Amino acid sequence: MPDDFVKSPSYLSVSPEVIQSTPALQPKKNTVLVSHGRPPWYAEDGQRIADAFVIGVAGGSASGKTHVARQIVRRLGSIPTVIILSQDSFYKYHNEEELKLAHANMLDFDHPDAIDMPMFASCLSDLKACKQSNIPVYSFAEHQRLEETKYLYGATIIIAEGIMALVDPALRALYDLKVFVQCDSDLMLARRIKRDVKERGRDVGGILDQYLRYVKPSYDTFVRPSASHADIIVPGSNNDVAIDLICTHIRQQLQERSNKFRQKIAIPHKYLSSRSGASTPDPRPEDLELDITLLPQTRQVQGIYSILRDRTTSRQDFVFFTDRLSTLLVEHALQHLPYAPKTVITPIGMDAHGKKLDAHHICGVAILRSGGALERGFRRVINDVPVGSLLIQSDSTSGEALLLHSMLPTYVRQRHLAKDTYVFLLDAQIGTAAAAFMAIRVLLDHGVKEDHIIFVTFLVARTGGVSVLKGAFPSVKIVCGAIDNEMQEGWLEGYKGEGNTEGKGRKVWVMKPGMGQIGDRYYL
Amino acid sequence: MSSTADATKSVPPPPPPPPQPAHVPNSNLAHMNPLPPSVFTLPQTAQLEALYTIIRDKETSRGDFLFYSDRIIRLLVEEGLNHLPVVARTVETPTGATYNGVGFEGKICGVSILRAGEAMEAGLREVCRSVRIGKILIQRDEETTLPKLFYSKFPQDIAQRYVLLLDPMLATGGSAIKAVEVLMDHGVPEERIIFINLIAAPEGLTTFTKRFPSLKVITGWIDEGLNDKAYIIPGLGDFGERRQVSFFYFP
Repeated sequence: MPDDFVKSPSYLSVSPEVIQSTPALQPKKNTVLVSHGRPPWYAEDGQRIADAFVIGVAGGSASGKTHVARQIVRRLGSIPTVIILSQDSFYKYHNEEELKLAHANMLDFDHPDAIDMPMFASCLSDLKACKQSNIPVYSFAEHQRLEETKYLYGATIIIAEGIMALVDPALRALYDLKVFVQCDSDLMLARRIKRDVKERGRDVGGILDQYLRYVKPSYDTFVRPSASHADIIVPGSNNDVAIDLICTHIRQQLQERSNKFRQKIAIPHKYLSSRSGASTPDPRPEDLELDITLLPQTRQVQGIYSILRDRTTSRQDFVFFTDRLSTLLVEHALQHLPYAPKTVITPIGMDAHGKKLDAHHICGVAILRSGGALERGFRRVINDVPVGSLLIQSDSTSGEALLLHSMLPTYVRQRHLAKDTYVFLLDAQIGTAAAAFMAIRVLLDHGVKEDHIIFVTFLVARTGGVSVLKGAFPSVKIVCGAIDNEMQEGWLEGYKGEGNTEGKGRKVWVMKPGMGQIGDRYYL
Repeated sequence: MSSTADATKSVPPPPPPPPQPAHVPNSNLAHMNPLPPSVFTLPQTAQLEALYTIIRDKETSRGDFLFYSDRIIRLLVEEGLNHLPVVARTVETPTGATYNGVGFEGKICGVSILRAGEAMEAGLREVCRSVRIGKILIQRDEETTLPKLFYSKFPQDIAQRYVLLLDPMLATGGSAIKAVEVLMDHGVPEERIIFINLIAAPEGLTTFTKRFPSLKVITGWIDEGLNDKAYIIPGLGDFGERRQVSFFYFP
């Protein structure tokens, strides 16, 4: 975890819910924090194996909740993806009248009714179920919920923090661990005065007035009683030991889940029957019946493949013929989109009965790096199309796929659009199918329908992970230009880059005859 | 393509045959059934029909017309190239395996029939990088009403090349026939010419293929026929106009 989480002075990180939304004061909240890639979170049948681990952190204003949350993140160390979800984002939308009150500091922000609890719970529940969530953005400067939303996806651990985090029963039901940060009232008040004077130039009289009118009654009525729901009560200062205990508990919980599901995690290459260095046996009959859409093997297509497979082909030729091939592949893949009848009038005034595309939204997602080699062809065929990307690489030691970065088109990010969106997944080849598996799971998590996913690729290994992939996601369409028979375990000489700055070699599965490292040949 | 790897170890399979005349159910065969054996259409898929629907629509913007007609042209050129000969070729892949593939044989060039044919050149060049392109201008002679050659410029060695003759619309076939005559005068054998065309009228196809039975015609779509002004119906209007190709070769 980045250390800058905890390097801010303690008085800055004690009370998020009333701090102005100055970015420096709220670093990295409501953001997916990534330490390394995200390993598979689904089993070989394509289903999710566990929910995200959700921790609720409540406590009075300026009691040190954020500090506790950040300490947990830091102590956990190598947890792949964490979100600290702040209750502040869920202040309700204010009407004109409330807005006036708010600007006059006369609106009670310390009452549970000020917070949109159903929305908080629904966002948290989506995130817990490993779906995306577009959480609201609240501006303290405008005292208003903004039009924009913040897209979050892919956390293994979620820390929901806020003074009311334990008040609402619907929220409480979502937590795997409930923490209450207990702090003396005088200490909280002292921190609050110090911060408000220093950061907002407020006078002590005004601060005390607000404290006595709203903050204190709210704390006594709602916040402190909610401590009875907590699994663990943490002191608001000198709490290192308590945080250690919490982290030990979380680690243990995660380990248990991991042990339980370890065998089930989808690592398609472990199903491959090849021994190290030996070629795979003849394809099994069931593999031959894979439902794959193969580009017609015309003379030109065969000629293009001969050039692309040739190790002596120059990069210039490789790029040109790759672009030509990807254009043909995407043209061919369009057969999987729906069409409806349409009649138009031609310039000479005649009716022409034809067809039109009957899809709401279309977008592309390239699995980087090598999937980028199909992007040019994709754009040649589909006009003005948004293309997102997923950076998925295999872990050099375990061979597991790791999701390092995702940049998805709006059609996919917004759940209500995703359900009507056709997504073309682009990757150079399906060998072990580990990356394909992960990319499809990401799209399904976002609400894209399985039969709306069209996977376009140059090469598929018949004996590779594609049968596992098809078993898990039978409705996903796969369109390819050639099918190779063999998968071979081999050693890839080190290339610098690809998350491998020292250029170390690694064990990989290669397809035979194959096309070599398509990403390298296209880009390097 | 050069540097064929040593192919002695395994005998490569023979190259695939060229495309055979379409005998698949063809939605527009109603307009011409059976097809002359030298005529090939693109696979009559829903997505191709959707492309044609866009470019036929008089409401389609010029930008869309360009984009979608280019897509059809690329497919037509790809289909045309499948009629060129190939030879068996074995290559070594980066993984050290051998692959029995094919290599392209023979030199090609494009010849566009001005003006509209020129609009197909960009699509041709996207598929065949830096291919040589000749041009022909044929217009109706006002006195004889017969097509007359006004201008032609070809690569010097055109007689040794396969020629992809480009004209988007085949209506009566008059200018296409004239263009082929000019090519043959330059020493290009009939069977080395491949005529590539977006929309054809059955009348024109019949005339053309009777005259040149061994010349292959690749057409995207066969329309109903011609109206009394010899426009293809339903057609798509004037292809050159809609792409706004405006060239002034003559004063």
